[in-house]
Amino acid sequence: MDFSYTEEQQMLRDGVARFLEKTYDFDARQAVVASDAAWSEDAWSQYAELGLLALPFAEDHGGLGGTITDCVAVAEFFGRHLTVEPFDSSIILAGAAIAASSNKVAHAWLERLMTGDAIAAFAYEEGHGTASPDLISMKAVASADGYTLSGEKRLVLAGQEADIIVIAARIEDSGTLGLFLIENGAPGLSVRGYSSVDGRSAANIRFDGVDVLPSGVLDKDAAGLIDQIIAKGMLVRAAEAVGAMGALVEMTGEYANTRKQFGVPIATFQAVAHRLADMKIAYSKARATLIYTTALAESGAASGRDMAILKGQMGKLGQEIGEMAIQTHGGVGMTDELSVSHYHKRLLALDAQFGSHAYHLRRLGQR
Amino acid sequence: MNIDFAPELEAFRSEVAEFFATAPTPAIREAGRKTTSVFAPFDQCMEWHRILYEKGWAAPHWPKEYGGTGWSVEQRFIFAEEYRKADLPPLLPQSLGMVGPLLIDIGTQEQKDRYLPGILKGEDFWAQGYSEPNSGSDLASLSCKAEADGDDYIINGSKIWTTYAHHANRMFLLVRTSNEGKKQQGITFLLLDRVDYPGMEIRPIVGLDGFPEQCEVFFDNVRVPQSGRVGEENDGWSVAKHLLKHERGGGNAASPTLMRYLEKAQEAAAQTPSAFGGVLANDPVFQSEMGALEADIASLAHFEKLAISGHEIARDPAFPSMNKTMNSELVQRASTLMMQVSGVDGLARQLEALRVGSNVEPLGSEFDLISMPLYLNSRATTIYAGSNEVQRDLIARTVAGR
Repeated sequence: MDFSYTEEQQMLRDGVARFLEKTYDFDARQAVVASDAAWSEDAWSQYAELGLLALPFAEDHGGLGGTITDCVAVAEFFGRHLTVEPFDSSIILAGAAIAASSNKVAHAWLERLMTGDAIAAFAYEEGHGTASPDLISMKAVASADGYTLSGEKRLVLAGQEADIIVIAARIEDSGTLGLFLIENGAPGLSVRGYSSVDGRSAANIRFDGVDVLPSGVLDKDAAGLIDQIIAKGMLVRAAEAVGAMGALVEMTGEYANTRKQFGVPIATFQAVAHRLADMKIAYSKARATLIYTTALAESGAASGRDMAILKGQMGKLGQEIGEMAIQTHGGVGMTDELSVSHYHKRLLALDAQFGSHAYHLRRLGQR
Repeated sequence: MNIDFAPELEAFRSEVAEFFATAPTPAIREAGRKTTSVFAPFDQCMEWHRILYEKGWAAPHWPKEYGGTGWSVEQRFIFAEEYRKADLPPLLPQSLGMVGPLLIDIGTQEQKDRYLPGILKGEDFWAQGYSEPNSGSDLASLSCKAEADGDDYIINGSKIWTTYAHHANRMFLLVRTSNEGKKQQGITFLLLDRVDYPGMEIRPIVGLDGFPEQCEVFFDNVRVPQSGRVGEENDGWSVAKHLLKHERGGGNAASPTLMRYLEKAQEAAAQTPSAFGGVLANDPVFQSEMGALEADIASLAHFEKLAISGHEIARDPAFPSMNKTMNSELVQRASTLMMQVSGVDGLARQLEALRVGSNVEPLGSEFDLISMPLYLNSRATTIYAGSNEVQRDLIARTVAGR
């Protein structure tokens, strides 16, 4: 067994870390979130320059042929810096669905996604935690010239800004899950945009008989593929969660060591010290599970149970760490000004998507 | 990153499983099934130790030149997994997991030659004399005294919570050799060749589960040779801390044992009616609890695998304390779940049926026989080897940088 990053992966990590440290501190991030822009165009083009947007795509498609470990290696820094760019939706989720399709026409989009010139959104969640693809109820009905989509998708990240949207829907006659691609602005779409609590641009999208042309049919029996895509998404987002958790543990330790009450640093109180210890234990568990599951996935051996363990632990431990960080910071932990609450909200958002920890942990217990 | 799934490993798994299916005697198997503690029934446990030694498998975590197996991390986990599946008694940790690795690391050549073979072969069993009536979490305040006299020390005082001292033939212990300076500075680490020196007395303590697992050890002018000292006189604290790393962050993975408890609870719950109808295994609250527990056990397994493979996570100064805290609290959660599954059927006090070789049939299932004693005994896990309060103090220091 070997759980270390290769020299190349380490270099990639160093490059991303340096870039984000220089340009993406918390104040810069808050300025982006407060602006009219959905994310930082500068950062996005830098990601393209660093090769991150081409990382997971096969060399045949013009990508770098990176592995899941490569993606996990960099995503940790997205969590640490609370980035708001749609790396997950455009590259890891929607991009992967297009790349996996046998529909060559759709492949034309890949190059534009990799240069950062076009954005793809992944319309999957249908609210109340679309914990499993089995719960997807959005309908795709065969039409004379392709399919017609009806239903609603929620929390579609970059749903307003995306050039294209990849949709998971149930095909009415076969009952199978399909993946479809449409251009944003297609007739029958109503997009209601908003910002998520963790600073992302998102949208709820109604589909009232939206036509999909044959060029937009990615896969008519995509249940297995969707599982794979979501597994990758879960790993990349778990890396983000671990990055956020690590930042919270560090900040909280530092704060407890400098904040004085009763004339001494609060870290000298055992009740506070033990909370710090619990935060570090939780973080170490999360990190070990992320690294191990990544190695399993790299070896092609991550099962559904392994993914449930990963997703369950990230959500549960992330929420716990966030709550402990706020409590240790006291009043200032409650403010919008300090980054602590923003990390917490990111962790909550990561938990809620693709099934919360309550879902995944109970599923494990069902055996 | 990679994890090896080579076909040779499956052959290794079969070899291990085959050995476990054939080598243990019926009494050893019975002892494994009736183990309700970290410490398995002594006689059968040592018998099994000697069988494993003959096979070359007594100390997989030891360096190969000292009798270790030289296995890969994958092989060590396969061994541990098959071990638990076969419900065999775990080998006792004091000799193989504590004093053995300590001597390998810092013992003199003479001490290694004299003691390591007996430890590896299972001929000797070492008791650990650390805690004293007034020195528990504050171990460094210990007062059991050793005074130099010629080539010997003369020991006066007492030790407590000395697990299986009544079965031991050797003992390692911490004694006070000086009251000068800081309390940590006057401690010395000694190896005792025997536990029947004139003036030594061992008294078992019956525990809350009804078994005499722990002991008190009294020293009244006990004369022992100075050649048994490990490290320098008054430098025993650093020796003790070194040993604690082995004790807390042990070379053997705990997660397979925990998974076994979980499986047993799951199997029993599938046979246990739920007060809400159906069986307990289908109760949503039970499922949530089981799932959360399994995920935490899995995270510990991941942590252990990273550590055993040499990942930097194990070089964190807080690693032994984190490992001990996670492991001990999971043993408690798993055994609590088992006790709750048994419910009323776990309330019968069945000490005789639990004895290996007993002809008293248990009242109910074997699960109900062990669940309550295991639960009760496991209250100790967060107390021994440095209470979890002490562990959290140590972990917190690395977070706050104090």
